Amino acid sequence: MTHAVKHHPGIPLLEQYVEGTLEADVALAVAAHIDLCPHCQQLCQDLAVEQGTQLQLMKPVDTQDSEPDWQTMIDSITAEPPLANPPRQHKGPITVQFKDKTFQVPRALARLVEQQTKWTQLGSIANNKLPAGDKRHVSLLYIDKDTAIPQHTHRGLEITLILSGAIVDEQGQYGVGDILINTPDDTHTPRTLPDQDCLCLSVLSAPLKFNKGITRLLNPLQHFFY
Amino acid sequence: MLLNSQSIQGHYGSSTLKSDAVKPMNEESTTHTRTGQWEDALSYVAVNQDKAAYAELFAYFAPRLKAFGMKMFGNEQQALEMVQDTMLNVWRKARLFDPTRGCASTWIFTIARNVRFDMLRKKQSRKDDISADDLWYDGNYPEQEDSGSHQWDTLLMAEKVAPHFERLPEAQRQVMTKVYLEEKSHQEVSDELAIPLGTVKSRIRLALDRLREALDDTRS
Ligand SMILES: [Zn+2]
Repeated sequence: MTHAVKHHPGIPLLEQYVEGTLEADVALAVAAHIDLCPHCQQLCQDLAVEQGTQLQLMKPVDTQDSEPDWQTMIDSITAEPPLANPPRQHKGPITVQFKDKTFQVPRALARLVEQQTKWTQLGSIANNKLPAGDKRHVSLLYIDKDTAIPQHTHRGLEITLILSGAIVDEQGQYGVGDILINTPDDTHTPRTLPDQDCLCLSVLSAPLKFNKGITRLLNPLQHFFY
Repeated sequence: MLLNSQSIQGHYGSSTLKSDAVKPMNEESTTHTRTGQWEDALSYVAVNQDKAAYAELFAYFAPRLKAFGMKMFGNEQQALEMVQDTMLNVWRKARLFDPTRGCASTWIFTIARNVRFDMLRKKQSRKDDISADDLWYDGNYPEQEDSGSHQWDTLLMAEKVAPHFERLPEAQRQVMTKVYLEEKSHQEVSDELAIPLGTVKSRIRLALDRLREALDDTRS
């Protein structure tokens, strides 16, 4: 995709994603964004390098009394054969269908959209819940052109990742790869363009915990000047 | 410790393991690792299933992974389960490691993170179908062009960058100070701090990103 992504997850979100401590459903939206965003690919690579360095510099835990039996562990591991042919999943583009339309979706959603159930349509909006989580708060949303997007009311975050088309609100326009993060008290009213429909990934998360407050998270790098 | 990483000499080019001999022995020397040592060891495991090279890697990383696991799980049993699963993946998937794309420590960290993530999913026994494979691409994205640091010189000279510079995470500020104020090369900084060269470059990029974000915020 050649579209220049403008709206990114904030650094604290990316840090937790790389650490593996972010809620799975939120992490899924972040992962899908990263598939579409070369800038965040580099950022996450750098954050992983930092985590790896922390691991390398870590002081081993001092347990004089009960040292694990490392040698037994080594022996059992090296008795295993190496992976014969590393699986390299290189399928074609991953797509979803809605009526007569076909949309391409990011790699992170590949397995989930394979198991997708069915679309439920209500007026000009159709919803396809992905099998991720009991609460089923991860879904694909198809929104017809010139339509206002309904706001959910709940205590967590509402994350929207644009997969096709665009949406606009009072703040500006969001295109493919852009991520919108709304808090319960956000009042803006996103809608699709007059002449273009839109497919997005929608995640309604449980409330997240952040040490440094939520402002950095909700202030993603929106004004990149590169 | 049954194993001591200093005492095991692999079958593979043992001369490569002695590079620290010229450095004075001090407390640092136990945590100092030569750049490229673990990358080399991994490629011996990949190509020859070299058990001595693997034992070296294991002796260094297993206790550290255990410490990491204790921090994440808070109990020894799960920490050790994570170590075993991670080190098994290191053994079996060594061929997937590409030294031209990054450090061994980064690769091992990502394996441990994925193992831990999937362990937690199972423990919570939710029907969540999201797995580590969905979240973290097990391959390489297309290489980015290096944006080159020269374009940052004007950014860094801006007066209003100073307060943000002070607020950088310590590890990043330290590297930035050495590179931009003391004008040291990336390799010199890597040697001085005993961290991989890739880590120096990553910390610079992360710091520049933070500074750019901070300046952007003040603009709007
Ligand atoms: Zn991004």
